[in-house]
Amino acid sequence: MNRTQVRRWWRLSQQSPWIATLQFLIFMALVMWVVLRGAAEMGYQWQWYNIPEYLWKEYKGELYPGQLTKGLMVTLEMTFWCTIFTLLVGLITALLRMSNSWSGSLLATIYLEVVRNTPLLVQLYLFYFVLSPIFGVDRFWTGVICLTFYEASFVAEIIRSGIVSVDRGQWEAGDAVGLSRRDAYRFIVLPQAVPLMLPPLTGQIINLIKHSAIVSVIAVADLTTEGRNIIADTFMSFEIWFTVAGIYLVITLTLSVFVTWLERRVRVRT
Amino acid sequence: MTAGRRNKKTRWSWIDLLVIAAVIAFVVFVVVRVETVLRYTWNWGHVMPFLAYVDEDTGRWVTNLLLEGLILTMRLAVIGIVISALIGVVMGLCRISNNLFLRMVARTYVELVRNTPPLVFIFIFYFFLSSQLMPLLGVDDLARSDSEFVQWMVRMVAGDPSLFSNFVAGLICLSLFEGAYITEIVRAGIQSIPRGQWEAGKSMGLSGFDVMRNVILPQAVSRIMPPLANQFIILIKDSSIVSLISIQELTFMAVEVGVSTSRVFEVWILTAVMYFVICYACVIVFNWLERRAERSKR
Amino acid sequence: MTENQDPIIRLTDVSKFFGEFQALKSVNMEVQLGERVVVCGPSGSGKSTMIRCINRLEEHDAGRIVVDGKELTEDMGNILAVRREVGMVFQQFNLFPHLTVLRNLTLAPMRARKLSLKEAEEVAMQYLERVQIPDQANKYPSQLSGGQQQRVAIARSLCMKPRIMLFDEPTSALDPEMIKEVLDVMIELAREGMTMIVVTHEMGFAKTVADTMVFMDHGEIVESAPPSDFFTAPESERTQLFLSQILSH
Repeated sequence: MNRTQVRRWWRLSQQSPWIATLQFLIFMALVMWVVLRGAAEMGYQWQWYNIPEYLWKEYKGELYPGQLTKGLMVTLEMTFWCTIFTLLVGLITALLRMSNSWSGSLLATIYLEVVRNTPLLVQLYLFYFVLSPIFGVDRFWTGVICLTFYEASFVAEIIRSGIVSVDRGQWEAGDAVGLSRRDAYRFIVLPQAVPLMLPPLTGQIINLIKHSAIVSVIAVADLTTEGRNIIADTFMSFEIWFTVAGIYLVITLTLSVFVTWLERRVRVRT
Repeated sequence: MTAGRRNKKTRWSWIDLLVIAAVIAFVVFVVVRVETVLRYTWNWGHVMPFLAYVDEDTGRWVTNLLLEGLILTMRLAVIGIVISALIGVVMGLCRISNNLFLRMVARTYVELVRNTPPLVFIFIFYFFLSSQLMPLLGVDDLARSDSEFVQWMVRMVAGDPSLFSNFVAGLICLSLFEGAYITEIVRAGIQSIPRGQWEAGKSMGLSGFDVMRNVILPQAVSRIMPPLANQFIILIKDSSIVSLISIQELTFMAVEVGVSTSRVFEVWILTAVMYFVICYACVIVFNWLERRAERSKR
Repeated sequence: MTENQDPIIRLTDVSKFFGEFQALKSVNMEVQLGERVVVCGPSGSGKSTMIRCINRLEEHDAGRIVVDGKELTEDMGNILAVRREVGMVFQQFNLFPHLTVLRNLTLAPMRARKLSLKEAEEVAMQYLERVQIPDQANKYPSQLSGGQQQRVAIARSLCMKPRIMLFDEPTSALDPEMIKEVLDVMIELAREGMTMIVVTHEMGFAKTVADTMVFMDHGEIVESAPPSDFFTAPESERTQLFLSQILSH
């Protein structure tokens, strides 16, 4: 495209949101076309018709989950356990960090710095090669534990900043009316802090789902692993990867929309 | 916080006892398991030469796999942050443009990247890049070029020319991935400048471009730098993922050394320490720079 | 006012919506060259929106706005030309915090009027002297008091040699003891014959400089009259009520 064409394209998209949307769709179609043409050039055989059998199988009139669906179940199961453990570890870490115990805050700080300054993948290898033989844990739980400690470092920070963000004056007001420290937490600080924490905590679940894909490195049979296995068997790289990415996107984007909704609600209330 | 009201003197509480007991129990359990059940014999002497060793013929220190891996990791991170910052600035400007088409393109890019697992993103892109884009761009030809300058550039960028195309593919994957996060950093930085600054600039008859260049960007840059520095550290860490597409950076080398020596405990602890040292050093340096910048602002 | 002369600003049936909310309801106004208009009214009455439409910081949704013979439309060239003729002073000063006072003043003349650095600095110093803070030229805005900042902001607008000045509640964000120094600069400007539209609640200032008082409420111009009539015999009840509230304290 030359300059005048670019300018014309620009002016068109300024005219109305519908035209801009149309342009966007044209652009996306163009991107798709480039991908498809590239695939055609390397003689790629599209086999989309083979995909459904990896999602579900029908046997004697009854539906059974296909390979990818089974993988998705494992991903969701990991996410479920991780969420619970992450909240627990994150909460303990946050409390230890804010406590007046020197060893507690030291331990929490060391843990946070180590997790923040090493790659998740290296942590996973450490857990898999070093800690899991020591503790005799299987692959699945190795993955769960590793992800838990990784995500919990973020959760700890979310909880801490949520509590810190409650105005100092609120503590002082609590003191002024003679509330104990526990009651001040329970009736004044937490009711204000928890709504603030909810959107970022939900965002953290999204990250958890995304990061859980990494356990395919240690061959936990999650969605990504199943996808890689199928590709190794059938060479349907494009179809499987797009399907896998699509499944992740559906889940994470749904949660993203939920987070946006939560954030708006919190903002209205405060 | 309430903790600030207490005196700073070290005091022991029941929490300390609990924490220390837990730590001791953990350490004892690990040591007992390693020594008696697994019967693992530590041999650091076997692993350390993979960092660097003394060549017996020349008597000089020679870097070995792990250190070379670390160097490649740093190459990826440094070149990667430049490319992804470029992507981030362009996309960030699109993201706040008043042109809906550009906003939609940038938004799609950001949401796609941020909502797919990094692993899946890298696999898809690597597959696509290495099979289609690399031949198209003629990267392989570049690496085989006769020109001395090109050869020098290739060596500077990738180290080993024979792995150049592979390196470039990994680099592009990583940059596209991080670019989405930097896009949001740039957007947030620009949007954090109060609307009044735009209005003041415009009310004096400056064009949108002039307001952006002379008023908004200079202020936005100082707000973008700290999160960008942080993103550099994240980039160092995220670069470990490209080991899965056979880029021979630190994590890849660690897997290799672990397999060939079967000294997995030492190798992985050493690798983690290497990453930690690099990242933590960056944290310290960036914090120092930030404090200095704060101070110079009067 | 001489009615036969062409007005320098003319608003015809100007309406403005923010979503469902109508901020301006077919506003009509004419301002002659050299006229000083003071606009008052309760908050949310559309005063700021109206003057922000005049240099198109807000886009009006209906009606016509003609400034110095140029109609404000999508045409970016016209908008820039009008903005160079029309200076604006904001409630929050909006100085550029990363530039020195001098650079704040020279930026627009250099970029938009293509003046050389030397010329721009000469003009800038001249106006800094007029607002009586030439000694602050090399400081940063954050080092100045609110009153000084607002005077810099006025000087910054004047550097573009505008034919019209708009003031959007220029003293509302100031501490009481600094209001006078800013008003003095504005009175001085009025004496020199600058065309001004001022949104303010400073009724003393209004009585001193205004040729025309405009009272706005609910997005409409309720009353428009010379100050002598406006303050002594307001026609509308809403104006009376507003004046009694604002003058009683």
